[in-house]
Amino acid sequence: MSNKKPTNWTGRDDARVENAIRRGASRRDLLKMLAASGVAVGAGSSLLMSASRAVANTPVFGGHMKAAGWSSSTADTLDPAKASLSTDYVRCCAIYNRLTFLDEFGQVQMELADSIESADAKTWTVKLKSGVTFHDGKPFTAADVVFSLNRHLDPAVGSKVNSIAKQMAAIKAVDDLTVEIELEESNADLPTILSLHHFMIVADGTTDFSKGIGTGAFMMETFEPGVKSIAVKNPNYFKDGPYLDSFEYFAITDNNARVNAVLSGDIDMAASIKGRSRRMLEGQDQVYSSVTSSGNYTNLNIRLDMEPGAKEGFIEGMKYLINREAIEKSVLRGMATVGNDQPVSAANRYHNSELAPKAYDPEKAKALFEKSGLLGQTVPIVASDAATASVDMATVVQQAGAKIGMNFDVQRVPSDGYWSKYWLKAPIHFGNINPRPTPDILFSLLYTQDAKWNESQFKSEKFDKMLIEARGALNEDLRKDIYWDMQEMIANQAGTVIPAYLSNVDALSTKVKGLRPNPLGGQMGYAFAEYVWLDA
Amino acid sequence: MIDHHDTPRGLRLPRFGYAFNMTGRIGLAVILFWAVIAIIAPLITPYPPGEIVDWDYFGPVSKSYWMGTDYLGRDILSRVLMGARYTVGISLAGVTLACAGGIVFGMVAAVIGGWFDTILSRLLDAFNGIPSLLFGLVVVAAVGSSIPVLILTLAAIYLPGSYRFARALAVNVNTMDFVTVARARGEKTGYLIRAEILPNILGPVLADLGLRFVFIVLVLSGLSFLGIGVQPPHADWGGLVRENIEGLSLGAPAVIFPCIAIASLTISVNMFIDNLPKKIRDRSQ
Amino acid sequence: MLRSLTTWVLVGQRLGIALITLVIVSFAVFFATEMLPGDVAEILLGQAATPEAVAGLREAMGLNEPAFSRFLGWLGGLATGDMGRSYVNDIEVVDLLGRRLGNSLRLAAVVTMICVPFALTCGIAAAMWQGSLLDRAVSILTISVISVPEFMVATLAVLIFAVWLGWLPALSYGADATSFVALIKAYAMPVITLTCVVSAQMIRMTRAAVIETINTPYVEMALLKGASRRRMVLRHALPNALGPIANAVALSLSYLVGGVIIVETVFNYPGVAKLMVDAVATRDLPLIQSCAMVFCVSYLSLITLADVIATLSNPRLRQ
Repeated sequence: MSNKKPTNWTGRDDARVENAIRRGASRRDLLKMLAASGVAVGAGSSLLMSASRAVANTPVFGGHMKAAGWSSSTADTLDPAKASLSTDYVRCCAIYNRLTFLDEFGQVQMELADSIESADAKTWTVKLKSGVTFHDGKPFTAADVVFSLNRHLDPAVGSKVNSIAKQMAAIKAVDDLTVEIELEESNADLPTILSLHHFMIVADGTTDFSKGIGTGAFMMETFEPGVKSIAVKNPNYFKDGPYLDSFEYFAITDNNARVNAVLSGDIDMAASIKGRSRRMLEGQDQVYSSVTSSGNYTNLNIRLDMEPGAKEGFIEGMKYLINREAIEKSVLRGMATVGNDQPVSAANRYHNSELAPKAYDPEKAKALFEKSGLLGQTVPIVASDAATASVDMATVVQQAGAKIGMNFDVQRVPSDGYWSKYWLKAPIHFGNINPRPTPDILFSLLYTQDAKWNESQFKSEKFDKMLIEARGALNEDLRKDIYWDMQEMIANQAGTVIPAYLSNVDALSTKVKGLRPNPLGGQMGYAFAEYVWLDA
Repeated sequence: MIDHHDTPRGLRLPRFGYAFNMTGRIGLAVILFWAVIAIIAPLITPYPPGEIVDWDYFGPVSKSYWMGTDYLGRDILSRVLMGARYTVGISLAGVTLACAGGIVFGMVAAVIGGWFDTILSRLLDAFNGIPSLLFGLVVVAAVGSSIPVLILTLAAIYLPGSYRFARALAVNVNTMDFVTVARARGEKTGYLIRAEILPNILGPVLADLGLRFVFIVLVLSGLSFLGIGVQPPHADWGGLVRENIEGLSLGAPAVIFPCIAIASLTISVNMFIDNLPKKIRDRSQ
Repeated sequence: MLRSLTTWVLVGQRLGIALITLVIVSFAVFFATEMLPGDVAEILLGQAATPEAVAGLREAMGLNEPAFSRFLGWLGGLATGDMGRSYVNDIEVVDLLGRRLGNSLRLAAVVTMICVPFALTCGIAAAMWQGSLLDRAVSILTISVISVPEFMVATLAVLIFAVWLGWLPALSYGADATSFVALIKAYAMPVITLTCVVSAQMIRMTRAAVIETINTPYVEMALLKGASRRRMVLRHALPNALGPIANAVALSLSYLVGGVIIVETVFNYPGVAKLMVDAVATRDLPLIQSCAMVFCVSYLSLITLADVIATLSNPRLRQ
């Protein structure tokens, strides 16, 4: 593979380079820019190749694309509120639209909305695009938006974002193309929140989602849960595109089989391959890979309210014992960035870049374990394939422990039922958190006193107050300062050890053009179908 | 393991003597070799089996790493040596339990017959009808995962098959004249089973045992993917193949050597069984 | 006349027993599912499973009734031929299961057609010339082939035939094939893999069973009377060995219906094994139960067939 990238290269850097090319930067300018960011020239030119590949071509219409995700089951759904697997997101992105979406630089762009405005960040006015129709010909109006957003508040729907949607106290249609959203408390992030995949707009009154009637770029032709789906181009789409005539999506659960299928040309894209599989793509002219850093992470959670986490010094010891470099290099094969024990990744503009990750220091860890009185004891750690790479991470901790006389008993448990039986419950266990676009969502889901997923039972009055303060702050600098302090609090006081933020690698046939990294996740934030084209 | 041609070719139907002994001996030697390795493994592994010793992965055979390195950069030789413990130990225990149970129940059912036979057969059929995946998950949910649990789970999965096979053979033998004669003599059930049935079904039953051993070795690796296999950092050989399967297209020794280990063990077990001295197998005649 | 009546009674008995077995399995599967952590609402919500959300979804899915009475309701429905609807996606179980069972059976049938004649020929030949070079070669080969893990065979096949040579597709969507050649290509790799896995056991069992009957006194008697070796094996030994052979074949074939999860995964073949795994993972009771019933029925029919063959082939058992 020609675009072998240095390991500290992220999707954001890709995006930066591509943006520069778009602005018309010369090759020389670009290499200078890369040199400034510490990239060797040899690697730099291959980076440029992959970046120009995404930009320099003009779109071609037509063709049938076959793509494979990594998980699918009979629970596959076209109901955006229930979507839980990446496979669901991809299908929903193809057939529905959101009010807003995030572009590759993390900026909010309008999709079905024409504008979203508020004076106090509490009452928001959403103006909708006119002339948009659903696949069945029904015109898109404010009633559809009200229905789609209100669904998340009904427990019978089983929405995944119920806890986020709860802050919308009232949603009402002002006229045919205007919706007013009243929040419980002011939140400047609403436009970003509405770009979450679950907030896709469906037609008013929809109860049967098997047909997938939306306003999106594709119309669902066949949909067999757990087997595959085929969607065809929507000729009346309100945006430019899509370029593809049709696209087929299914899952190949086995990583190796997925890579082989893209190598043999049976599929055009294999989503989310393991870092170590990139070596299989090397030297193959017909494939390339696309790397996205979006802030997904696997973390080691030590509950503060249970033994042994309750013992002073234990958690701090663990933060020094976890070998972040080994995890980044060996477990994740460079497809990651080292983390500093807080959930806001470098892909986010509020990331606290001055908060250094704790260095691997077994001696310091040993002293801390000694202080906690736990040195030499056997401590169980629950890991599972359900949390990406957690079994290997646990092994890294276990080996480091063995050297200083700590005995970690790694218990690998079935992925089946892991989230309901072990996650949040076991004294020391692994979690896996998907990227969220704002610190506010991350903090209120994971670290406030009443957070549903308070993985380590971290409780702080002060932290909760700061969150509310930041939420209402329309001044960017003030918000940033508060968020930075909050990140520091989490890194030093919470029991969540976040060793690395994972990057996502998609393997693609060189025929596929136009795919760009997106902060919402791999496969162009799951929305690739609308934007990519197949070179003839 | 290629056959050595130092066995007398003239004996077409060897009934007595030690005609195939050489092959059997080689088989036994390999089994013993792995058994010894299993016992002394912790003393001879060059590196701790869970330790990442190389930043590179799927490394080639080298002076420091005789069998290369795995997907994390761990030494494969150490992992294969330690894996012998789990593969040899768990599989032998599992297959012994499954076959011993299956054969005993099978013979008893065949000799006693009637309702006992019907009920036992149907119950075990019903058990076999429950998918083994579901069974494995339930076991772990109920009692957690440990070595004894693994052995019992494997034995339970393979017992009904072994039972059916032994019973089918025993039913055939049971109708033979010499059994009828023995029964007419007034021999007890225990005697019939021990002296008349067992020696006459031993050949196929042993062949079946050899095969079941192979399957158990392989199923063990499958269980690790339900989260009920050998706990990390250790892994059985099948598990080693599985975790390094991506290395196959890179020609990594990490996937080749565990395969060779499995093949050497399973082939020797079968060579040994196939070439047991006939005197042991046909002592009743 | 009388004889045919007893046959019918026997068949009836057999069916009755099979029915009882099915009910027992169904209950066992129900209790097994109940022991697994989490119910369908919790699993569907995954990380979003807060108590209110779970309660709401349960209510909406009609799962507030106790599991056991829902199960009895399902069993009652089954008696009238209604397999119920999947909890997870509200599709008729018959529709979900039907197509994928068709796929599984098609694959199983192709493998059987290739495997059984091949395995029986190899096994009988090996037994006939016991101790010969052929016999040893067959023995060593069969053991070597099954010693290699199934996923290794499958991956190697994909690597060689799809990635390096490009002769066959890496994925098997038999249903998509437009021509006969495409159909053969789609099935080639799963069939090769499964043939490797299944035929070895049949070969070994056939060989062992035939040899055992060759060693019995009456076959020896036939040999002494001057019967040819081939005649002896085919006329005298084989009929007596049929029982155990049929049993081994039945056990192997029942594996082809529900146990080929690895092949289905590697080649992305939509069969029932994957469906069952999905059903268990989502705790979708009607689907789990229906899959279990299908596996059980196929298993029972196969072994019943084997029993019938065993009985018919052994004159002593026939009476």
